[in-house]
Amino acid sequence: MISVESLSKKYGGLNVLDLQELTIPKGEIFGLIGNNGAGKTTFFSLLLDLIESTSGTVLINEINVQKSEVWKPFTSAFIDESYLIGYLTVEEYYHFIGALRGMTKEEVDAFVVPFEPFFNSEVLNQKKYLRDFSKGNQKKAGIIGALIGHPELVILDEPFANLDPTTQIRLKNILKEEAKKHGTTFLISSHDLTHVTEVCERIVLLEKGVILKDIKTTASTLKELENYFSN
Amino acid sequence: MPITVKQSFSLSKKKFFRAPQWELKLAARIFIGFLILYFLVAFLALGVALFFIIRKIFPDQEPVSVVNQWILYFFAIDFLSRYFIQNPPVTDVKSFLLQPITKIQIVRRVMFRSLTSFFNFIPLIVLLPFCVVVSKENGLTLNLWIWFLGILTLSGVSNFLIFLINKNRNVALGIFVFIVGGYLSETYLKSPIIPYVSSAFDKLYSQPLWVGLLLILFSLIWYLTQQFLKSQLYLDKGLSKKKERIIGSKLYFLDRWGVIGVLLKNDIRLIIRNIRARQVVLMGFLFLFYGLIFFTQDIYKENPTTLIFAGVFVTGGFMTTFGQYVPAWDSEYYSLLMGQNLPYIDYLKSKLYLLMFSVVVCSILSLPYLYFGKNTMLIILASGVFNFGFGSLLNLFSGAYNATPMRLNVKAKAFENTQGFNITQMLFALPKLVLPVIIFYIFNLLIDFNAGIIALSMVGVLAFFMKNYLLRQVEKIYQAKKYETLAAFNKNKI
Repeated sequence: MISVESLSKKYGGLNVLDLQELTIPKGEIFGLIGNNGAGKTTFFSLLLDLIESTSGTVLINEINVQKSEVWKPFTSAFIDESYLIGYLTVEEYYHFIGALRGMTKEEVDAFVVPFEPFFNSEVLNQKKYLRDFSKGNQKKAGIIGALIGHPELVILDEPFANLDPTTQIRLKNILKEEAKKHGTTFLISSHDLTHVTEVCERIVLLEKGVILKDIKTTASTLKELENYFSN
Repeated sequence: MPITVKQSFSLSKKKFFRAPQWELKLAARIFIGFLILYFLVAFLALGVALFFIIRKIFPDQEPVSVVNQWILYFFAIDFLSRYFIQNPPVTDVKSFLLQPITKIQIVRRVMFRSLTSFFNFIPLIVLLPFCVVVSKENGLTLNLWIWFLGILTLSGVSNFLIFLINKNRNVALGIFVFIVGGYLSETYLKSPIIPYVSSAFDKLYSQPLWVGLLLILFSLIWYLTQQFLKSQLYLDKGLSKKKERIIGSKLYFLDRWGVIGVLLKNDIRLIIRNIRARQVVLMGFLFLFYGLIFFTQDIYKENPTTLIFAGVFVTGGFMTTFGQYVPAWDSEYYSLLMGQNLPYIDYLKSKLYLLMFSVVVCSILSLPYLYFGKNTMLIILASGVFNFGFGSLLNLFSGAYNATPMRLNVKAKAFENTQGFNITQMLFALPKLVLPVIIFYIFNLLIDFNAGIIALSMVGVLAFFMKNYLLRQVEKIYQAKKYETLAAFNKNKI
């Protein structure tokens, strides 16, 4: 699904990201962890062609994201609130995203119905604009927005942050189910080691822009990571 | 510990110099400084001239008395303008709430800051020179200066009354009805209401002790405002966000035009649901009346080239005010758009169609200018065709160079409108305005009026037929500037 070759990003001579090689197969739930400044968001921004790499390339389905835009129809992301349109209602926002993915209004409406337990009656039919939502509900709205139209690749930056415990657990189930049913590839970053080890099949640990660990998740992974971070 | 003026000033200074792109803002401030200077000089000149104008038109009346007849209208209009524009400066109050500062100190800071509003300076800078001239010509009297003090006090009352009525629509409506009704009844029915109220100002002049009443009134309003604002210093009261009604939810008919329709739908919602956008559109609408300044004056009849200038403004008001901020309108969610299944060309097309549509609407709305004759109408229509075909593209082109983000739902204050302000935009304003004038001028000079009109229209028509090619060129610039624009839009996230 994704292959990265000698990808680097420098700001004023300082290496923020330096990935020699990274391949993420289709259908994998891929977790990215690391302390602040490890380069997680930089990596996501490079994948989405939102910043220009200093060197190296990102290929999504063999498409160089900097050269062509045809990766966009099957890729989606929710990084932060700037992925929401503040002056729209949730429904209008979903219709907008859906329309860009070739779905009708009715198809979009039908698509979001199964997510009602996740929304906990706090997102749909609220008669208010997204900018007036609480941070948590904005996040819920944005995450489901990124799933509209079952894109092959979904990138979520810290999806668990700001969510209440019930919603965090529901989100884990949604991610697993989407991956199982539709073969969706997920790229997730998180500071919550428990959640990441539970959801992700593979975890990459970044520090100062370099891959320190690349592990298949097992029963002992959580312990291993906790040990790493406590030093 | 009370917050001192020095501390307060130091905070404002830091806010300014540490803001992203403060150099640009500084340039904008300097420009606006000149603008303020211009107005200052204009008002001062008005104040000086006022005495002589009155003496010429009403030679047998006392100048102050003549001013008194009109001052009520001034205060009414002043009050209405404040109602629409002035906001209590409470935005950065929240961060002070948890500091060891008493609430009353916070409230006083807000109230003192509100006194520095532009509106409070108008009576000062107009009436001060007026009073100086009156003193010089008619002799220095205490009555005059107490009257002056009284007027300033009333201006202060007006300043705080705005806080107290708290955007109450009925009060504003009442005042509007009062001005219009008062004026009409005075002119047509010779009703004594307005003169009666105005005579109160004469009283103030002849019996200066009345100023005491005004000072008491001011103290009362000051006290009430202080109490009111203090009661509002809670997150769920004055500092809360108002719940908004959803408007413009039924625009789904636009969906039949595919992606372009979907984007247009968003733009319409953007315009009607965001304070900043509404302000800009209103300004564009006001440009429709810009022609009245030019077309009503005979001196411009001989000089049609100047009228082209007016025509470009009349038909392209919205196009310019909205178009100059084109990618910036979407700055809050530009990353989303860039990651979506949305080719740049479609994005630009939807904006282009919106601008073109606005030119058509403005041209239709300017049909009443036919009253000023066939040539005036031809000038407007030719400018419209130029704007439709070429001006719209020019606006998109200049937008590529404007990477100053826009905060949509924040009001721009008078003279603080530095948001999205940009020197490059100023430079781009030149071709938008000067180019059509030059085209017309050359053909009008070499051949005749009609040739000028045809030439100007032809540029628009040609650009229209080449629009796909031209738009591709514009798209290339947007593509090339994508990362730069994104970085700028995301850097200023607050």
